[in-house]
Amino acid sequence: MKSGGSQVLPHLPEAAANAPIVKSAQKRIVGARVRAVKSQVLLLLPAVAVFVLFLGLPMLTVLNESFRTFEPGRIGSVEGAPLTIENYAELFLPVYMRYFSQTYFLAFCASLIAVLIAFPIAYFIARYASSTMRKAAMTLLIGLTFLSALVRVYALQLAFGSVGIFAPIMSALGVNMNGSLYINCVIVVGLLHYSIPMSILILIGAVQQLNPRLTEAAQSLGASALSSHLTVTIPLCIRGLVSAFLVSMTLGISAFIIPWILGRGRVMFISNLIYSRFSEITNYPSGAAISIVMMALSLLLIFIMSRLFTLLDRT
Amino acid sequence: MSVLNLKDITKKYGELAAVDGISLDMERGKVLSLLGPSGCGKTTTLRIIAGFTSPDTGTVEIAGKDVGHLRPYERNVGLLFQDYALFPHMTVAENVAYGMRHRGTPTSEITTRVLRMLSLVQLTGMEARRPHQLSGGQQQRVALARALAIDPQILLLDEPLSALDAKLRLELRLELKEILRSVGATTIVVTHDQEEALTLGDEVVVMNAGKIAQRGTPTQIYEAPADKFVAEFVGRSNWFHASKRSQSTDGLTSYVADDGLEIRTRASRPDSEGGVDLCVRPEDIELVDGTAPESAPSPEHNVLAGVVLDVAPLGADVHVVIELPGKSRLLAIRKNVGRGSEILPGQSVRALFSASDVLVFQR
Ligand SMILES: Nc1ncnc2c1ncn2[C@@H]1O[C@H](COP(=O)(O)OP(=O)(O)OP(=O)(O)O)[C@@H](O)[C@H]1O
Ligand SMILES: [Mg+2]
Repeated sequence: MKSGGSQVLPHLPEAAANAPIVKSAQKRIVGARVRAVKSQVLLLLPAVAVFVLFLGLPMLTVLNESFRTFEPGRIGSVEGAPLTIENYAELFLPVYMRYFSQTYFLAFCASLIAVLIAFPIAYFIARYASSTMRKAAMTLLIGLTFLSALVRVYALQLAFGSVGIFAPIMSALGVNMNGSLYINCVIVVGLLHYSIPMSILILIGAVQQLNPRLTEAAQSLGASALSSHLTVTIPLCIRGLVSAFLVSMTLGISAFIIPWILGRGRVMFISNLIYSRFSEITNYPSGAAISIVMMALSLLLIFIMSRLFTLLDRT
Repeated sequence: MSVLNLKDITKKYGELAAVDGISLDMERGKVLSLLGPSGCGKTTTLRIIAGFTSPDTGTVEIAGKDVGHLRPYERNVGLLFQDYALFPHMTVAENVAYGMRHRGTPTSEITTRVLRMLSLVQLTGMEARRPHQLSGGQQQRVALARALAIDPQILLLDEPLSALDAKLRLELRLELKEILRSVGATTIVVTHDQEEALTLGDEVVVMNAGKIAQRGTPTQIYEAPADKFVAEFVGRSNWFHASKRSQSTDGLTSYVADDGLEIRTRASRPDSEGGVDLCVRPEDIELVDGTAPESAPSPEHNVLAGVVLDVAPLGADVHVVIELPGKSRLLAIRKNVGRGSEILPGQSVRALFSASDVLVFQR
């Protein structure tokens, strides 16, 4: 130990002499790191700027507007109008509650039906279809999403509307085509136009990631085709099922043209209400408050779904 | 009575016959190894027995009953997949219990049986783990426990050890053998590893291109291969091709190999167009010093002089490659006895092997 200690001493000046080199090397390394961080920040800068400028600021003005008092007859609130929570409070009136419940309920029904219909189709395409058939199906599904909303809606109107080609059959069956139940059903069908292809595309990916041997293992252990899917396939696809449901829900809640035309003025979605607030009676503060509530509800929905998902997901 | 009876099973994928007229019967409690090169139809055969693939022709009988119309879950066949296919969202215990749950076993019985199965495969205490928290060998045992838990009439193991590393494979091979014996499960083990096939099976079925090349005990397969394919596929071998037979005396036949070497055999085959292939196992070859005066131990013995090319001591055995006059090579395997008896490269040696150790196959 002693000799070790004495050996260190003569080296000291050398070490000291080396120090600046070490320091400069360290500086270089630190400098490189700072530069790397800087370049990362630079990379993110355009995105951040776009977000703040075109998304954050407009949303803030909407938020601000939603707390202003509105004087009927004006366009939006006056500069410096007094603050109020009246715009939010009135949303608890049953009339408004109906818009919300209608929108969320119909979107929920459409999403549920979409996922239920899409899953077997996606399973078939991912598992049993030949590669050419799979490509054809994908092309068709992606192509469908490009179809104009107006075209779809008027197609449905022509087929199932009160003067549509199915009208005689419907009336023969005793279906009241002007009843609100019928209108709601047509709206759900309209929503399915979007949510089914979207759900299939999402679920194909989920099924493809699943090892086909797992279902076979379940069946060789004695689980019937149905129960092997219920106990193995579906739990392992839960991620895909939840995202397909959420995407369908988003498409449904924000639907505008579908309820506008197919609702025939009898059924309106929140988007339609917001539109009429902003452009028909120019009550910006109320429209803004509805928008904010809608956004909050959607965030809540996503939160609940993801909590549910973590409970269900055991992989 | 046989537990499993396959009759003339054929399965074609397009032009290719994956399984080509296989007939096979198995007795209760026996372990059968299905051995063959990649793509010879082993997995397809298992999938047909399990009911995942339906054969084009032929019948599958389990315990005397035709099961052709039964779905996989209506048959009582345990299948262990090459990649184990454990359910990732279930614990070890849930995996093992899965089959019993779906067969209506009472819950109290399931719990005790899961514990018994896990202790059988030495995984006691791992009940609550998930498959991804287990090593490859442990996953393999869970898969085995899961397949055994339903007490299947037939257990099918598709390359049960192939996903493991060499050392673990060796350990688990013996353990697997013990477990299968203790449970008395009627088992078919698919493998393309000949050592695995010979250790695990009471009987071995060698498959080639969708057909059964030979069925026999491990000893029969090794010592009396039915054809050239089996001889080549199972164990190591030295080959000579001879197109003409010189003569037969005292029950011995002499063949002149293409490189001019004369080889005497006990077995004989009628002459054929393409000549014959002669096979000598490397461990049947004895090496003596080439400088000593030539003396064959008996007239039965073949003596080939050559030069040692390479010596590879591989643990218990030493592999010696000898170059014969005709530039052909001969592999001899001798026990590693050490102590001065080493053979060195460049040394001239004589290779001795008995005429009765030479296998003769028609071309
Ligand atoms: N679903 C299928 N479609 C088309 N061909 C198939 C299919 N399944 C198997 N085959 C073909 O049948 C032949 C036998 O396949 P099989 O999987 O039975 O071989 P194997 O003996 O198990 O081989 P390995 O040792 O590589 O697992 C192969 O040539 C394979 O390409
Ligand atoms: Mg295989």
